[in-house]
Amino acid sequence: MLNIIFYFQVHQPYRLDHFNVLDIGKNRNLFDDKLNGLVMRKVAEKCYLPTNKLLLELIQQSEGRFKIAFSITGTAIEQFKLYSPETLDSFKRLVDTGCVELLGETYFHSLAFLYDTNEFLDQVAMHRDLMQKEFGYYTTTFRNTELIYQDRLSDLIYEVEGFKTIVTEGVDRILQWRTPLYAYKNYSKDINLLLKYYQLADDIAFRFSNRDWPEYPLTVEKFVSWIDHLTLGETSGKNLFLNLFMDYETFGEHQWASSGIFEFMRHFPSEVLKRPHLGFANPKDTTHLANYQQESLSFPEAVSWADEQRDLSAWLENGMQKNAIETLYELFSRIKQKGDPELLRIARLLSTSDHFYYMCSKYFQDGDVHKYFSPYDSPDQAYTYFITALAELEERIMG
Amino acid sequence: MKILMFTWEFPPLISGGLGMACYGMVKALLAQGIKIDLVLPTKELVYFPMREESDVDTLPVIFLDPLMHKEYSRHKFETINERLEYIGITSQPQSYFSLKEIRQYAASVKKHYWLSEVVTDEEQDLWDEMTTNLIGDEDLIRKVQEYTLRADRFARTLDYDLIHSHDWLTYPSGMLAKQISKKPLVVHIHATEFDRAGGPGDERVHKIEHAGMTYADKVIAVSKYTAQMIMSRYRIDTGKIRIIHNAFSLPVDTVLTQERIFKGPTVLFLGRVTLQKGPDYFLDVADRVLKVHPEARFIIAGTGDMSRHLLRKSAAMRLKNRFLFTGFLNRKQVESILRAADIYVLPSVSEPFGISPLEAMAFGITSIISKQSGVAEVVNHAFKIDYWDIDLWAETINHLIENPEKRIKMGIEGMQEVNRIQWDEAAEKIRHLYSTMLAEYIRRPKN
Repeated sequence: MLNIIFYFQVHQPYRLDHFNVLDIGKNRNLFDDKLNGLVMRKVAEKCYLPTNKLLLELIQQSEGRFKIAFSITGTAIEQFKLYSPETLDSFKRLVDTGCVELLGETYFHSLAFLYDTNEFLDQVAMHRDLMQKEFGYYTTTFRNTELIYQDRLSDLIYEVEGFKTIVTEGVDRILQWRTPLYAYKNYSKDINLLLKYYQLADDIAFRFSNRDWPEYPLTVEKFVSWIDHLTLGETSGKNLFLNLFMDYETFGEHQWASSGIFEFMRHFPSEVLKRPHLGFANPKDTTHLANYQQESLSFPEAVSWADEQRDLSAWLENGMQKNAIETLYELFSRIKQKGDPELLRIARLLSTSDHFYYMCSKYFQDGDVHKYFSPYDSPDQAYTYFITALAELEERIMG
Repeated sequence: MKILMFTWEFPPLISGGLGMACYGMVKALLAQGIKIDLVLPTKELVYFPMREESDVDTLPVIFLDPLMHKEYSRHKFETINERLEYIGITSQPQSYFSLKEIRQYAASVKKHYWLSEVVTDEEQDLWDEMTTNLIGDEDLIRKVQEYTLRADRFARTLDYDLIHSHDWLTYPSGMLAKQISKKPLVVHIHATEFDRAGGPGDERVHKIEHAGMTYADKVIAVSKYTAQMIMSRYRIDTGKIRIIHNAFSLPVDTVLTQERIFKGPTVLFLGRVTLQKGPDYFLDVADRVLKVHPEARFIIAGTGDMSRHLLRKSAAMRLKNRFLFTGFLNRKQVESILRAADIYVLPSVSEPFGISPLEAMAFGITSIISKQSGVAEVVNHAFKIDYWDIDLWAETINHLIENPEKRIKMGIEGMQEVNRIQWDEAAEKIRHLYSTMLAEYIRRPKN
């Protein structure tokens, strides 16, 4: 049996305003509320609302056999409430079907894991509380920001009550000859690991509307036949897991409605469920579905799902990114000493990984992706606003 | 006395150092009863008839074409900027001619380059030098070409006693006007290509500078430093050169009271972020000072071709949020940043004059200026250091951070000193030069 595990990342950052040195000390709002509202309403209209509606219909039509998982960040939930409350309601209706798993992550979609363990654990706890409060859901599967993972993450998450599974990227340099279709264990065999099958996931997320791709157009029949093919290698009855992880904004935002992405999704579950050896599962189901001794995998270096390199270079490669993040985490410790909740809140909103992504200056193919997602003209501009905002934050700490 | 003046900058829209200098100078000349027709790189064919002191702020406009002027007079404008937009002048003057127009115009101007009676071989050489070097397709060169082509119309239509051109961008226009009208020409050196480039620079610009200075009847240098530069680098006849230092007058509505942005000591670099201004020395100095005084903040106010390099280098040096960039600032914003600063630095590699330190000193900011600057000749209450002596810059800044009383005292003394450096005095010298030139012109031998 091959179980398709869909997990969709739902996230919106609080984008920083064009913050200038002359704005410092004036108690000005650091964030571009207008832009943030605009983006949220646009994405809700193009992606969240129509896709939620479609997925709800598909779950109902499949009588519970179609399953999906979401990871929804705290900053996204907050902005749903501010700018698109109907979106939050539609997610709640989806969770109420019982076919939707919610994953745990850092509330602020941050890189705190790499810089400040206590802050990381705080943000994980905040997110779990939020999921309980908003959806009445207790999370048991964890995904770190941008699927960043390394052995130490499993140690930390194992210590947090209730987490059994972590999802991450199926990076070739770790898997080598292995397939990401099996459920694995972390290096110490304490935590269940699920690895993204990036070839097929990226066919939907990145290549779907690319006319230069030889497989264009991607039809449901073609895609399901590829999936079918994957089951041929497994003859001893072991359960396989096809982990299709992607940004939720793939639907209608990265791949526009005119590309046919919604039609693809509409027909996908029924095509899969025609075949008795294919089905859908949630990440949490894998702990009991894994009917074999799970091999353990060690990740000595951090991996992620970003760019060709699948490492940290999208956020932490150039001097601007490093200077910005190091300065931010220095301020964190000073704010915590001072115990000012308002400043802590600002520092946390600045810890969202997107701010560092905008400063990425790798100008080849992946740089274009960064540019597409950035609200700023250049990485230098993104850095200038950010580092100036950190000067403002520091002045407030001293004030 | 009526002057035809060509310049590339004039506030409020283009207010670099050249623009600010022209503003102060024109205003003071008007106060002396001199009339000036000002020609700027505008889109429309207009000039600015300056008759009274207040004209420098209201900028009256006349279209060369009477019909267009009639049309313009019927317009009601809310603000001066709206009016300036109508005549097409922006902070970065865009191309104001189509290529076709240039070709047609070039034909008529060529007539004057070539068909007019060229007196001597030397003179012919200067024309060749200017015209052959005013060829190119880069943005700036092209704009200067266009500006020059139009100078012909102004030179012919307007009535004037003398021509005054500021910096190489307008030397070709000055030359053309002199050729057409046979009136005397004075060129004003605010900076040479050696200063701007911080090295050899563009050969063509040097040639145009040389042609302009040689063709002119008199050359004004803004400092001794600049006079030495044009004698040694351009071999200009010493007898033609007059040194007239720039001055500085604060706009009347300027608010000087300090208004801090940062709690810690604030060190300011204000100006174009280009090699000439030495921003990379500022960065190295900041790095050294921050090791001793991590509470200080260093601000780069302005933009330029080195901005990105500096931004990335400051990040790579991990100067945290202690080295900040304001980007481009308008006039009011410049005043705000000046009111927030404790120490001003001008680490220029080569600065013919440098008005911005005078402005900083007028705000009572303790200033440290490069010895390689003209402004160092006119102020005493400022530290003067060789631009390359990074250790001494850092030591001086540390000393000023550690001794606030001394810093404040020096700031106040500097303020008093700068208040005495007024444009009236410089304008008086310029007026005197004009009179001498006119007398020589009237008494010139006829041939």
